[in-house]
Amino acid sequence: MAGPLSTVRIIEVGEMVSAPYAAKLMADLGAEVIKVERPATGDRARTRGPFAGGAAHPEKSGLFIYLNTNKRGVTIDLASPRGLAIFEQLISGADVLIHNLAPAEMDRTGFEFERFRRVNPKLVMTSVVPYGLSGPRRDWRTEDLTLWSDGGACYLNGARDHPELPPLKAYGYQAGYQGGGHAAVATMGALFGAARGAGGQHVEVSVQESVAAIIEMANTFWPYMKMVLTRYGAKPVQPLDSFECRDGWIFACCVEEHQWHSFVEVMGSPEWAAEEIFDERFKRGVNYDALRPLLAEWIGKQTVQDLYQRAQARRVPFAPISNLADLVNSEHLRARGFFVDLSHPVAGRFKYPGAPSKLSRTPWEIRRPAPTLGQHNREILGGELGIDARELESLRSEAVI
Amino acid sequence: MNQAPLTGIRVADFTWVWAGPYCTMQLAHMGADVIRVESETRLCVSRVTPPWAGGQYGVNRSGYFNQYNQGKRSIALNLKHPRGREAALRLAAKCDVVINNFAAGVMDRLGLGYRDLVRVRPDMIGVSLTGYGDSGPLHDYVAYGPAQVPLSGMSALTGYRGWPPMHVGFSYGDPNAGTHAAVAIIAALYHRERTGEGQYIDMSQWECTMALIGEGILDYTMNGHQPERDGSRDPSMAPHGLFRCRDMAELVAGTPVDMWVAIAVADDAEFARLAAAIEQPGLAGDERFATLAARKRNEDELEAIVTEWSAARFASEAAEHLQRAGVAAAVCATSRDLAEDPHLASRGYFVELAHPEIGRVKHAGIPWRMSETPCSIRSPAPLLGQHTDEVLTELLGYGAAEVAEMHAQGALK
Repeated sequence: MAGPLSTVRIIEVGEMVSAPYAAKLMADLGAEVIKVERPATGDRARTRGPFAGGAAHPEKSGLFIYLNTNKRGVTIDLASPRGLAIFEQLISGADVLIHNLAPAEMDRTGFEFERFRRVNPKLVMTSVVPYGLSGPRRDWRTEDLTLWSDGGACYLNGARDHPELPPLKAYGYQAGYQGGGHAAVATMGALFGAARGAGGQHVEVSVQESVAAIIEMANTFWPYMKMVLTRYGAKPVQPLDSFECRDGWIFACCVEEHQWHSFVEVMGSPEWAAEEIFDERFKRGVNYDALRPLLAEWIGKQTVQDLYQRAQARRVPFAPISNLADLVNSEHLRARGFFVDLSHPVAGRFKYPGAPSKLSRTPWEIRRPAPTLGQHNREILGGELGIDARELESLRSEAVI
Repeated sequence: MNQAPLTGIRVADFTWVWAGPYCTMQLAHMGADVIRVESETRLCVSRVTPPWAGGQYGVNRSGYFNQYNQGKRSIALNLKHPRGREAALRLAAKCDVVINNFAAGVMDRLGLGYRDLVRVRPDMIGVSLTGYGDSGPLHDYVAYGPAQVPLSGMSALTGYRGWPPMHVGFSYGDPNAGTHAAVAIIAALYHRERTGEGQYIDMSQWECTMALIGEGILDYTMNGHQPERDGSRDPSMAPHGLFRCRDMAELVAGTPVDMWVAIAVADDAEFARLAAAIEQPGLAGDERFATLAARKRNEDELEAIVTEWSAARFASEAAEHLQRAGVAAAVCATSRDLAEDPHLASRGYFVELAHPEIGRVKHAGIPWRMSETPCSIRSPAPLLGQHTDEVLTELLGYGAAEVAEMHAQGALK
C-alpha cells in the first residue's frame, strides 16, 4: 500500500528544521521529495549533533538523518545561472516547491514565485520564513531560540520558585518544528485546492506566527484580562506539576474536578485534602504553595509505575517523566510498531521515531534513509533530467552541482 | 479570486479541550465548515478555563475557548439521549471528516464509533485523536496535553543544568497533535479526491510529541546517550540564552514584570559584532572568548558580561540594537508584547471579530497566507449551541416542530 501523497512530487530547498520537517511529513506520507542542497557543504543541519559515534561528520548528524528520511538528494548552486536553469527544470515537473531561504536571500538570488510560476503554472510554492515576507522584522537575523522567544513560548517556562533564573527554552528546535508542521498543513491545503482546480499559488508561513498561535492561554490573557502570564506566577489550575518518587519522576495532572477526587482516594483520603482551601480546582491553583509540599511528601514515598497505574485505574491522567530508554523499551510503543529500524549507508543501523499518524488505507512508511550529500545527482540530473555525462562532469568541476 | 482551499469540506467535530479543537480550527481557517458538537451536560474544559473577557466568568467568555474555536459552528447535542444520538448520526452522514479526541472507546460506547459511522457515510475520513492511540496495552489510559510533554521524553531533555526535568510551560502536546492530525486529514482528503476512498486515522498524542525530539531520540538509539539538560544553551553556539533586561516600563497589576532578551551567536564573526555592539570590542580577540570552544569553556563568565550590558536596557531596545549590529536577538515576548507587537499588527495577524457576547477582542490569527485561495477567519468562536437550530433544520432536514420537541425532551442540550 502506498501513502496518500504517492502521486505528489516535491522539491525542497531546506536548511535545519522548518522546511525539512514539513517536507519529511509529506515524504513519509508517500510524496516523492527531492532535496536540493548547496554543493560541498550542504544543509547546515549536517553540522549539528548528535552525531552517530559522537564525532562530527556530515553524514552522521542525527538531526539531518532524522529530518530527511524518504528524500533523494541533489546538490545545485542556486546562485549560479547554470544551477538555476537546472533547478527550473526540476521545478517544471513538480507539484510543490518548499523552502526556507531567508527573504533577503530570496531577493538576492531571484528566488521568486512569479519566476517559477512561469516555468510551472500549477506549482504550489511554500516559503517558510522566520517573520513572514513583510513587516518591520522581515529581515531580522534569527535562530530557533529567538523565534521561540519572539512567538511568546519561551517566557512561559522556567523555575516557578526562582524568579531570578531566566526563562527556559524547550529542548531542541521547537520553533522550527512548529513552523514546519504549520507549513505542511498550509502546503497540503493548497495542494488540495490545486487538485480541485484552484491552480498553483504562493503560500507564506511565518515561524513567529506559528509559535504565537499555539501558546495556550498566553495569547489571550492580555486582550481579555490585561494580565501577563509568567513562569513563576500561579497556574490557574493545580496540580499540573512534576514530583519525585522513590525511583524517578512523575507528572501529576488533575484538570477536571473528578480527577482530583479520584487522586485523593488513591492517596487514601488524607485529612488535609478535605480542607476548604483545596476543595475546588482554582483554589488549588491559588493555594498551591500550601498544597505542593503535602503532595510532594506523599508522592515521594511511591514508585513511578505503581502510582501511574493506580492513578490511571481511576482515570486520572498521570504520566511518568520518561527518559529516552523508557521510550525505546516501552511495551506499548513496541506493540504499536512505533520505532522503525533503518540502515543508513554511513551512519549505520538504528531505530527512528515512527508514524505520528496511522492511516488505515494509505499508511505512513519509511522507504529510504536520508540522502548522503549529492547522492542522487547522477540518477536525477542525469537519468531523469537527461543531462549527459560530460555535461554533468563539467557542472561538477565548476562546482555548480 | 478562488475560495479558500477546503471550501465545501464539512467536518463533524466531536473534539474537546485543545488538541482536537486546534486541529479543526486549522481546517476552518482553510474554508472547511466545522460543526462542533457540544453539550451543556459536559462543558468543554476550555469554556470553563480563564482568561475571562472583562474578568467575568461565563461559558462563552473564555479566551481559551474563543481563541481555538474561531470560524466554527456549535451545536448542542445530548449524546446520551436517543434523539441526540440520532442527530449525531445524521450529521456524520453529511460530513467528509468525523473527528473526536475522547479517550479510546468513548465514541464506540455511544454508538458513534468509526464502524457505526462508516455505514452511513462509506467514504468518510474518521479520526481518533487520543493520548496513547487506539491499540497497544495502554490504549485505554487517559491523557491530558500537559502530561504528554513529560511522557514523550521532552521534559527529561528540558531544564536548567543540574536541575530536575522541567516542563515547557504550556500544554504543548495538544496543539502539536492537532497540527499533525490536520496534516493526516488533508492527506487523506487528497487521497479520497483521487480515488473516492475514505479511511480511518489513528492518532496518538504521545507519538506526535516524540516526533519533535527526533534528534534527541536518535542520540539514544545511535549512541546510547541521554543528553544532559543544559538550560537554554546550545552545544554549537555561544552565547545562546536569555539575558535579563530592565523590567517592563509600566507596572502590570501593580507589579513590575521581568523582561529578557534572547541572544544566539552562531559563529566567531557574529561574536565580534556582538562584542562591538555591547561596546567591548576587545572580547572578540580575548583568548577566553575568541573561538566557540573558548566561549563554551567560559560561558558563565561570558553570560555575566552580556547581562551587565543587557540589564541596563529595555528588552526591545536591546534586541533592536543587536539586530542593527547583525546579531540574532529578540525580545522574550510576554502576552502583552505579543498583543502589542507592531510587526504582527503590520502583517494583519490579529483578528477582532464581533462576538455576540464579548464584542471585539483581539485574537491570534492564521500563521500562513495563500496568494490565490486566501484564508480568513470568517466568524468568531461560537456561543454554546449557537447553531443548533440552524444546523438541524437547514443541514439535517429536521422540521421546526421536531426541533422544538427535541429541545423539550432534552436531546439538544
